[in-house]
Amino acid sequence: MGKLNGFIEYSRLSEKYFPVNRRIKNYKEFTIKPKTSELKNQAARCMDCGVPFCHSGCPLGNLIPDFNDLVLNNKWKEALDVLHLTNNFPEFTGRLCPAPCEAACVLGIIDPPVSIEMIEKYIVEKGFSEGWIKPVIPRNRTGKKIAIVGSGPAGLAAAQQLNSVGHDVTVLERDNKIGGLLRYGIPDFKLEKKIIDRRINLLKKEGINFKCKIEVGKTKSLKDLESTYDIILLCTGSTIKRELEIGGAYLKGVEQAMDFLTYNNKYVDGQIDSFSNKFNSKGKNIIVIGGGDTGSDCIGTSNRHGAKKVINFEIAKKPPISRNDKNPWPHWPFTFKTSSSHEEGVHREWSILAKRFIGDENGNLIGLETANAEFDKKTMKFQELKNTSKVWDCDMAILALGFKGPEQNLPQKLNIGLNNRENIDCNSSYQTKKNNIFIAGDCKRGQSLIVWAISEGREAAYYIDKYLMGTSSLPTKKIEKDL
Amino acid sequence: MKPKKQGLYYPEFEHDNCGAGFICSLKGVKTNLIISNALDVLSCLEHRGAVSADGRTGDGAGILIEIPHVFFSKQCDFELPVETEYAVGMLFLPQKKTQANQCINIFQNEIKRQSLKILGWRDVPVNSKVVGSIASKNQPVVRQVFIGKEDEKQSEKSFNIKLFVARKISENRIYSSELTQKNYFYFSSLSTRTIIYKGLLIPEDIKRFYIDLANPDLVTKLALVHQRFATNTFPTWDLAQPFRYMCHNGEINTLKGNVSRMMTREELLQSEFIDDDDMKKIFPIILSEKSDSACLDMVLELLLITGRSLPEAMMMLVPEAWEKHKSMDESKKAFYKFNSCIMEPWDGPASIPFTDGTYIGALLDRNGLRPSRYSVTKDGYVIMSSETGVVDIKADNILSHGRLEPGKMFLVDMEKGRIVKDEEIKSTISKMYPYKKWNTNNILPLSRVPYTGNRTPEEKLNLETRLKIFGYTQEDFKKIIIPMCQNAKEPIGSMGTDTPLAVLSKKPQLLYNYFKQLFAQVTNPPLDGIREEIVTDTSLSLGSNSNLFDFSEKHAINLIINNPIISNEDLDKIKYIEHTNFKAASIFALYNKNKGHNGIEESLNKIVYDVENHIDKGANIIILSDRNTSKKNSPIPMLLACSFVHHSMIKKNKRSKFGIIIESAEPREPHHFAMLFGYGASAINPYLVNEIIHYHHKMDFLKGVTINKAIVNYNDAIAKGILKIMNKIGISTLNSYRGSQIFEALGLKSNFVNKYFNNTPSRIEGIGLYVLEKEITARMNNAFNKKNDSSSIEIGGDYRWRRDGEAHMLNPKTISKLQESVRTKKYETYKEYSDLINKQSGQYMTIRGLLKFIDYDPIPIEEIEPWTEIVKRFKTGAMSYGSISKEAHENLAIAMNRIGGKSNSGEGGEDSSRFFRDHNGDSKNSSIKQVASGRFGVTSYYLTHADEIQIKMAQGAKPGEGGQLPGLKVNPLIAKVRNSTPYVGLISPPPHHDIYSIEDLAQLIFDLKNANRKARISVKLVSEIGVGTIAAGVAKAKADVILISGYDGGTGASPLTSLKHAGLPWELGIAEAQQTLVLNNLRGRVIIECDGQLKTGRDVAIACLLGAEEFGFSTAPLVASGCIMMRACHLNSCPVGIATQNPELRKNFKGKPEHVINFMYFVAEELREIMANLGFRSIDEMIGKSEKLSIKKGIDDYKLKGIDLSNILYKPSVENNISIKNTEKQDHKLNNVLDFKILKSAKLSIEKRIKIYLDFKIKNTDRAVGTIISNEISKIYGEKALPKNTINLNFSGSAGQSFGAFAVKGLKMTINGNTNDYFGKGLSGGTLIVRVPKKATFKSNKNIITGNVALYGATSGEAYINGIAGERFCVRNSGVNAVVEGIGDHGCEYMTGGIVVILGSIGRNFAAGMSGGTSYIFIDSNFDERNFNMEMIEFEKMENHDFDILKKLIENHYSNTNSRVAEDIIKDWSKTKNMFVKIMPTEFKAALEKLAKEKITQLIN
Repeated sequence: MGKLNGFIEYSRLSEKYFPVNRRIKNYKEFTIKPKTSELKNQAARCMDCGVPFCHSGCPLGNLIPDFNDLVLNNKWKEALDVLHLTNNFPEFTGRLCPAPCEAACVLGIIDPPVSIEMIEKYIVEKGFSEGWIKPVIPRNRTGKKIAIVGSGPAGLAAAQQLNSVGHDVTVLERDNKIGGLLRYGIPDFKLEKKIIDRRINLLKKEGINFKCKIEVGKTKSLKDLESTYDIILLCTGSTIKRELEIGGAYLKGVEQAMDFLTYNNKYVDGQIDSFSNKFNSKGKNIIVIGGGDTGSDCIGTSNRHGAKKVINFEIAKKPPISRNDKNPWPHWPFTFKTSSSHEEGVHREWSILAKRFIGDENGNLIGLETANAEFDKKTMKFQELKNTSKVWDCDMAILALGFKGPEQNLPQKLNIGLNNRENIDCNSSYQTKKNNIFIAGDCKRGQSLIVWAISEGREAAYYIDKYLMGTSSLPTKKIEKDL
Repeated sequence: MKPKKQGLYYPEFEHDNCGAGFICSLKGVKTNLIISNALDVLSCLEHRGAVSADGRTGDGAGILIEIPHVFFSKQCDFELPVETEYAVGMLFLPQKKTQANQCINIFQNEIKRQSLKILGWRDVPVNSKVVGSIASKNQPVVRQVFIGKEDEKQSEKSFNIKLFVARKISENRIYSSELTQKNYFYFSSLSTRTIIYKGLLIPEDIKRFYIDLANPDLVTKLALVHQRFATNTFPTWDLAQPFRYMCHNGEINTLKGNVSRMMTREELLQSEFIDDDDMKKIFPIILSEKSDSACLDMVLELLLITGRSLPEAMMMLVPEAWEKHKSMDESKKAFYKFNSCIMEPWDGPASIPFTDGTYIGALLDRNGLRPSRYSVTKDGYVIMSSETGVVDIKADNILSHGRLEPGKMFLVDMEKGRIVKDEEIKSTISKMYPYKKWNTNNILPLSRVPYTGNRTPEEKLNLETRLKIFGYTQEDFKKIIIPMCQNAKEPIGSMGTDTPLAVLSKKPQLLYNYFKQLFAQVTNPPLDGIREEIVTDTSLSLGSNSNLFDFSEKHAINLIINNPIISNEDLDKIKYIEHTNFKAASIFALYNKNKGHNGIEESLNKIVYDVENHIDKGANIIILSDRNTSKKNSPIPMLLACSFVHHSMIKKNKRSKFGIIIESAEPREPHHFAMLFGYGASAINPYLVNEIIHYHHKMDFLKGVTINKAIVNYNDAIAKGILKIMNKIGISTLNSYRGSQIFEALGLKSNFVNKYFNNTPSRIEGIGLYVLEKEITARMNNAFNKKNDSSSIEIGGDYRWRRDGEAHMLNPKTISKLQESVRTKKYETYKEYSDLINKQSGQYMTIRGLLKFIDYDPIPIEEIEPWTEIVKRFKTGAMSYGSISKEAHENLAIAMNRIGGKSNSGEGGEDSSRFFRDHNGDSKNSSIKQVASGRFGVTSYYLTHADEIQIKMAQGAKPGEGGQLPGLKVNPLIAKVRNSTPYVGLISPPPHHDIYSIEDLAQLIFDLKNANRKARISVKLVSEIGVGTIAAGVAKAKADVILISGYDGGTGASPLTSLKHAGLPWELGIAEAQQTLVLNNLRGRVIIECDGQLKTGRDVAIACLLGAEEFGFSTAPLVASGCIMMRACHLNSCPVGIATQNPELRKNFKGKPEHVINFMYFVAEELREIMANLGFRSIDEMIGKSEKLSIKKGIDDYKLKGIDLSNILYKPSVENNISIKNTEKQDHKLNNVLDFKILKSAKLSIEKRIKIYLDFKIKNTDRAVGTIISNEISKIYGEKALPKNTINLNFSGSAGQSFGAFAVKGLKMTINGNTNDYFGKGLSGGTLIVRVPKKATFKSNKNIITGNVALYGATSGEAYINGIAGERFCVRNSGVNAVVEGIGDHGCEYMTGGIVVILGSIGRNFAAGMSGGTSYIFIDSNFDERNFNMEMIEFEKMENHDFDILKKLIENHYSNTNSRVAEDIIKDWSKTKNMFVKIMPTEFKAALEKLAKEKITQLIN
């Protein structure tokens, strides 16, 4: 397997983008498909490791060396099969995953790692364009009915898994379209929504029922739900936004990132006709607070709106350029990263603490006062450094501070309880204290990656199937072997 | 008597090797002198034998002579008939008188029943005082019985048969009786012509013990003597040799198969001379619990009774390698071919002197693995022995010196007073019957079987389902099958194995995986089927056997298959065969899935019933098939079906009537096939693999080969793989491997094994049919699970880690934790790592994982010896510079030197610059210097700088195999260290060519001890059943340290099949060695070391409690240095710069000595915590305290609960004074070494570097002469030694083995006389000369002057040999220039440098594996191009510089030896110079050209 010394012969190639000035004119994806020969060469860099840390580093356990080898050998369809063995939606992860696999790639010890995510993406895209990905309709039906609440990646993965073994699956979504955060949280320039629709159509053909605008506990009673379905799987996500409790947070112009992005996504999708000034960055001084991926998405979106200036604050200190002793391979590298949105124009500040929003007489945000901050190991908190105060012009502040946990309404009503991390409680088999209710995804583990959501959905499906049928032929992973 | 089976000690695994010889009068003159001379021979061979712990009990010695009629006539108080008209029995009897009398009664009764007469009894006078304390415990009473014929007319043949029958029946009756001392009863001899005096004695005591032997009336014309070296000290009186017709120096590797096949032949025996009732009573022909030699003798005896002559019988039992012999006479070939249908070879190293009292002769095995030298004197004596020089003969009395050549025989016809040569004997015998015609009429080659057009119907189930039923994984395709299809070679892997044993695995396992291959180490050599292919054969025959008493062409009715891995088409030919002589029947090995394991039992019984039915109806080919599986019908494991049919039919006495063909979806890798053959199959059709190949070909996964080629390649790869597995245990022919069962079960219940795999050892119990069936059902369920049919075949994960695949000890988590811990020096992180390894929670991986510590007796940790003391017992493993990079290699050395542990050079030599400290005080010198079969860079200087010298007999990852360093890894630096040519690949042979047996190992230990008296000598063995017995032998051979490695150890490259399936875990090996050594009272003499995937302090603690006192680590320190288990060591592409020589990749090496030190420190600390809990203050207190271990309770896993480890924890009960750890030093007996005498005279000359000339007498007991002096010179002058020819030593006589071993520059050693084996071993710059004594009259180029394996591993220097050298001349020579006047087989094998000039004939297989150096061969009348192995060499044109070199060397030869041959050539140089042919390896030539170019480029730049 693999090409001997391929890693010496070829250098890493990352996916190339359209130039910034071209791509920020619209919300479309801006990646440039590499040539097939280039992809093969990238696959040739895979070393066929005796212990493939990538495969371990991937929460899904994607069989990375195996699909790389198939790509190298021009066996795209087989590569696709291998990819689908562990991953229901490579087209999502291939675009959005921060790629812990690449962080764990053994080649990363000595050289830039194998471009695993890119290869993954083009395997699945080739699968779609060649028409290899077809609905797989189960031969037999078990008659067991399962409701999945929430249609994010966890819910969708669970739905496909459970449907594949013949259960009758219904996905309930309170919003007006299927996809959860995928649809409303991720900007189109990173994931065009037709990509989601393409997959949803397949899932529908496989026999999964999708019902939108149904909010369990509100538009559908719990009693009704429990009596209709043998199993309820909650994949409701972690949706309580973290607030910034400082002065002026009430001012007009202080917005939550998820509100901002959702609004924009709905607009791009044509669900909103005229764009509200509230969420429009055009001509404004934008400060995005929070240095994560969501913050990055807000930067990209603001630039597309035509913001005057975009600034990004991160409270933590600027990470090192490369790994240090405390952060060795194969752990996730906490290093300085520049996303495509960063490339598009942003001023980034680290070790900075937002102290106070400043408004004008009309209650509109006009500025933000900050100070430099340092992490205090004793108090485990960021402490303001004296005499570092500064005021920034700011017309809109976007808070990309993450999520605190799942909404508590539903678990309370279902009487299934929360754990000490404020997530919904369950046992190691994803089952809550009510036997018919399972949970998966961010509502179980707190905010996380798409790849984890898919993994959670798959595992929950396995335990549900096992619970219903006694045994399960669905795949499951050996959790203790995770890195 | 031998101790009973206890703990891990199995008595059946004892081995023996020996010294043997005979003297006879050519003209049949009877003298008493022959006896004393013969006994003197034994005394001269004493170093080839061994002595037990009491220092007195030998392993056995004896002498066979003619019946001394005159002596007996005088001694007996009864009348004796004339000579040869009566028989004398030499009888051992119970010590208890009543029991002895009962035995006598039974025997006398049988004699009467055969109508023979007892003439009288004589008590044999013995002197019991000379018997050692161990031997005296079971010293038998010795009596002689005299038996007369029925009447005068009775023929000698009839008389002998009746004696045989009477003796056999008596033996069987007595051995099956309830007598407590029944095993004492034993006839050393019972013959009309010969008598044997033998016992558990050292040679010089035989004469003292048997008072008869001193009597001058005792005269004989012949005497056969033998002295035994058994691997342990449980030798018994009856196993002393000679046996009745022969004695044997060597070992029969195929014994188990030979014995079981002999049993199957018994059913067919019929003779007009023996009535049928008696015939049944003489069975078994081969008594149980006898040595291999004794078994061979019993069969030989039977063959003689059938009317065959002694030489003919010997030819049948130990045939020469005829199968691939291009120049062998047709009629002789036909004889062998015919007889191969009757008897499979008894294969293994063997020098067998034999006699029936009229003829005396000897024969050598096909490989020529034992030395056998003979001399004929002008005054009419023939002396044959393992060594030359055992009897003093004046030079002018020598008529000729000869040696036995591989597969050859020689015979002294004393009636005619001449020696009959091999050609003549064999030609006479092979012309007795028209064998060729018989063969043509009866033997049917598969190629001649017509195709009937009938075809096996296609399977109903789809491919995917069947793949799942039979447990195929993606890895099977990608890592096993496809590579074999492409390369026709076994796939290679590296870094050992770290997956659970089959019985611990949670994945359903094929039955094959519960067995491990056994292999040869020490007592016999593994073979080299690649380089020495001419002696191998993989053909098999099918059909039925016939009555041994018959002489008929019907014996040859056999279907012969050349490569018994057969295609679907070939199987169809046999399946539907229409032939008068052959009838095939197919039987399905399936069972009703719903009936579970009962279903299997039911089906198996039905199968046996069907087989019997078919046979009774005339079928002689049974095809066992697992086709036609279905949802209801599961396949029975084919190995189970095959073995059960094989054993059941043996029990039913019908096994000899048919051959088994396997048609199975199961076998895919060489191990599977080898096992099927090992348990009785004669041909195998892997039909599912064929389908897989077709599928992959269709899918275009098999690039560059046609489908037919792919299948042929696969079949060839399997055949090569099987050959390797056979060779591992020292077997050359598949015919004798078949049914030999050379495996150990690991994790199978003994009642299951006894029923289905009778006579296969299984020591830790485990699963049986019930669980086995569960595993089949699990696979069936997986296959027929419709819900999941979209996903493909399981990924595997055996060879490379996969999350859902097989578990691995070294996985992402453990590797990263270990690396993190050593880099940050955090003990807590190390503990996380060690917990993951130790607790094995959720998945047991190792035997030690199932053990726990008990009997806690905590003491404060401060009281435990400090870690700095403990790590002195730690070593890093043997990884050569070459297999790993300079950086990685030196890193380990520096680390170990800093903490006072030991690093190991590995087998690649060591750059001498490393012998001295660096400026910063660090030392890169490897304390342990390894001596492996390749002998790379093994010089006097290298050995001088060792604290410990390790002889690698085997390595865990691939015991019984050689190694290979691919050309691309041999960069100029490595080439320099290894004395080889850059970019030319290097091979180390499977065997050490100077260790074919235990006495050879003793010799090498002696040599190395001479080479460095301060260094400990260590012998590295690999765990397998019988390793304890071998360890006992090694202890007696005077090793200081015995290392027992686990099977799972890492390596740079190993066939995957060996990585997984050969050898056993160290837990078994250490425990067995400890138990056996303690039982033998040998434990105190040696240090026991353990290695093989030791990873934590807990591992060390367990090894120590089981008996180890030193500990080796390899993989773990490499991981600490940055290894990420890429498992690409064999590919030179290690990305972290460890197992690579690529300069760019080497830059990536990030390891530091501190990392390794931190690891060792952590391990020691963890160990100290355990010691504190258990209450041991030091390692010393802890060794061998297995009572502190117990088996974990509450393991109720369905597979694990049957495991029983009590044998591992067993402690033999011995007296208190018997040591359970090392307490004393070996006595290496160096005091009398000739070198000390030489040193006395040469001391000043060495110190002042002044020329000196000295003369000495030399005997064959003066061994390794020159080695100590060389060591002394190396110490003073280092690599440069002395100016050439400073110390000139002249010897006269016969030099002992290893003359001039490791002799350095400045030494010139000349011997007038001759030398034995291993002349110039490891020659390190010295000049060695052997010349015919002046007074001798024989021709030098027609007579042997030096023994086998001369100049093995020699690195530099010169040698001039005025005569013929034995087999394997200049093997692994890497720089010596040598001139010789003729050599035996396998000359210049594996040579990598130097020049060899041969002025006479060469044997077969010249230049096999030769990758460097040059050879010039004189074309004489015997010149035959077929003697060259052309795989790696070419005949070159002689250039002018060639003539210059050649002439100079021949002139040197003449000036040093006065050689007539050289003189003649030089005299006529203008003519003779054109009579030479030049040999040069192709790759070598290319490399030289490449180097020359590089040099030019350098000059230009």
